[in-house]
Amino acid sequence: MTPTSNPPVASIVVPAFNVAKTIAETLETLLAQTVAEIEILIIDDGSTDETANVVDPFLEDDRVRYIKQANRGLAGARNTGIAEAKAPSIGFCDADDLWHPDKLRRHLEHLNTNPEVGVSYSGSQLIDDASAPLRVKQTPRLRRVNAAQILKRNPVGNGSAMVIRKQVFDDICFYTSAEPKRRCYFDETFRQSEDIECWIRMALTTDWAFEGIPGLLTLYRVAAGGLSSNTDRQLASWENVITKLRPLHPVFFEHYEPAARAYQLRYLARRAVSSGDGATARRLVWQSYKSSKEPFFAEPAKTLTTGLASLIAPLLHFALRRASIHQPRKDFPNDQVHSSSSIR
Amino acid sequence: MTKFTVLHLLDDTTPGGVTRVVDHIIGSRQLAQQAQHVTQHIRKGRLSMPKLRADMIVSHLSVSWRGLPALIALRAKHPNVPLIHVEHSYTRKFTSLNVENRERFFSLLRTAYALFDQVIAVSRAQCSWLVTRGLVNPERTRVIRSAVDLSSFEALPAPSGPPKVFGAIGRLHLQKGFDVIIPAFTQCNYPDLQLKIFGEGPERARLEKLAEADPRISLVGFCSDPVSAMQGIDALLVPSRWEAFGLVAQEALAAQRVCLISLVDGLQDQIADGAIPVAGSSISDWTQAITQAATFVPDRRTNLRKTSATLCFESNWSKLIDDCRMASLKEAA
Repeated sequence: MTPTSNPPVASIVVPAFNVAKTIAETLETLLAQTVAEIEILIIDDGSTDETANVVDPFLEDDRVRYIKQANRGLAGARNTGIAEAKAPSIGFCDADDLWHPDKLRRHLEHLNTNPEVGVSYSGSQLIDDASAPLRVKQTPRLRRVNAAQILKRNPVGNGSAMVIRKQVFDDICFYTSAEPKRRCYFDETFRQSEDIECWIRMALTTDWAFEGIPGLLTLYRVAAGGLSSNTDRQLASWENVITKLRPLHPVFFEHYEPAARAYQLRYLARRAVSSGDGATARRLVWQSYKSSKEPFFAEPAKTLTTGLASLIAPLLHFALRRASIHQPRKDFPNDQVHSSSSIR
Repeated sequence: MTKFTVLHLLDDTTPGGVTRVVDHIIGSRQLAQQAQHVTQHIRKGRLSMPKLRADMIVSHLSVSWRGLPALIALRAKHPNVPLIHVEHSYTRKFTSLNVENRERFFSLLRTAYALFDQVIAVSRAQCSWLVTRGLVNPERTRVIRSAVDLSSFEALPAPSGPPKVFGAIGRLHLQKGFDVIIPAFTQCNYPDLQLKIFGEGPERARLEKLAEADPRISLVGFCSDPVSAMQGIDALLVPSRWEAFGLVAQEALAAQRVCLISLVDGLQDQIADGAIPVAGSSISDWTQAITQAATFVPDRRTNLRKTSATLCFESNWSKLIDDCRMASLKEAA
């Protein structure tokens, strides 16, 4: 790769926490983007493994910068990256995910031709530990996405799917009393649900549009044990997000919160199914149904599958574990329960 | 030679900001020397517009799809009369919180604004939004910050010591954000503080429910005299979710009251006049800001110079009218 002297047209923020195994492949796909005028900001969030050594050879390329900080969590790593970014558009790629070679160019073209779009995202192909594609895809709604859809379905999907104008972050920038000089964009008090908190806040406090472009341009890795199945803690963090943001627009939340909660509970039920916890799954399915019937009417097939799967969860778990003995790499055994449309 | 006539079109007759600003123009002696100002009420949602007799027409109307045919008719029937639109309502934060289909909304605004020779923003923040969103050509826009007669506010004696009585003035509507400051105030533990909320509106029941547990909070109802409302408080809270300008903050500053504002739209303009911004929009942010305000003696020398706001407003309008007159003379020649 030849370094370019032109100012970067995009910055790519790569939060990295103990990712020695995967970050090299990630950086290779970023450096191979069809847009060459980029800067890559690796934010090492207090790694204790070999991450620094793995990254080192990549720093010969002038476009790659390495910033190490004490651990702050994903939100804190992204905040540092955004504050350091020099380009007018910022992409994000977690250090175990991969980008399609033309991903950045397509997002930049999307942003350039649509001045009202602030957040450009695309669908994702899920991959396993060996970077082989799984049968599961995220194919979110691409157009006419408003705050209600973001609250209910999070079309952005995962943390490596989006390219966002720097201006959008300037518009949501805030400071905390603990660190009055640090520019914050993502809320560092959240260790989970930090994405959805940021997207809802963007949608309700700025007039930028969210819009997707076609294609599965992110390869999103779902590693063995990568998705924790602590559904209670996840639900609690989601509830904290809602509690935090409700004063922004109480009427909006009054209107959409029950359906959003139902989708969230259904998603967690599917997660419980995939970890074989039938009792939790059944409880979550029931709570989801009580919160709102919308998932049932909007996506009857998916909702019914979740309900049925929760009834036979232990059996399903056993069968899938058996199957995974023959395919040891594919440790995300729930294409049944996690089908397309979006991760939720 | 007959006097140059400026016709102001209004569709909002509620006692809110728009009416008061237009009344201020009509009542201005300086502006009366230059031109004759008259108002005409236009029914909301009418499809056409009569032929109007005026040398310059200023629309204070709210832009909507339903009102668009009337605006088109206004342009068509007065091809050679300078048409000005004053945008009293729409802002960035209004759009963020209220508009589901933003693409369609921006198309509406672009279409409507294109009918006018000039679009007046009522705050610098609003102007910057209009231009950065490409809603109006920068050459055809200017800022005239809204103003009303502040002399009776300036005449009020300044409160002494740290503020004890906090107030909020405005329609009891989601826009004003009073549902945030009531719980925030409840969490301030000083027993001798008070919060008085002046206004009426659709949110009354909800706000009463929020306030019922705290005897320090009272919903006073609508007060027809804003000066006496201001007299009864030591500090003003303006937690609005959107606000094209926010006259009430100007009044508080003129009356030398501490004025805490949310960091949105036109309110941001008033930091330079001495308003204190509250970082963040959460309940705890407001609790912290109120607690801080209640514990220190404020600096009374606000930046808002006596009547300067009024003078700026009048000279800006006067310049706009001159420019329009010159333009139409040139065209006639």
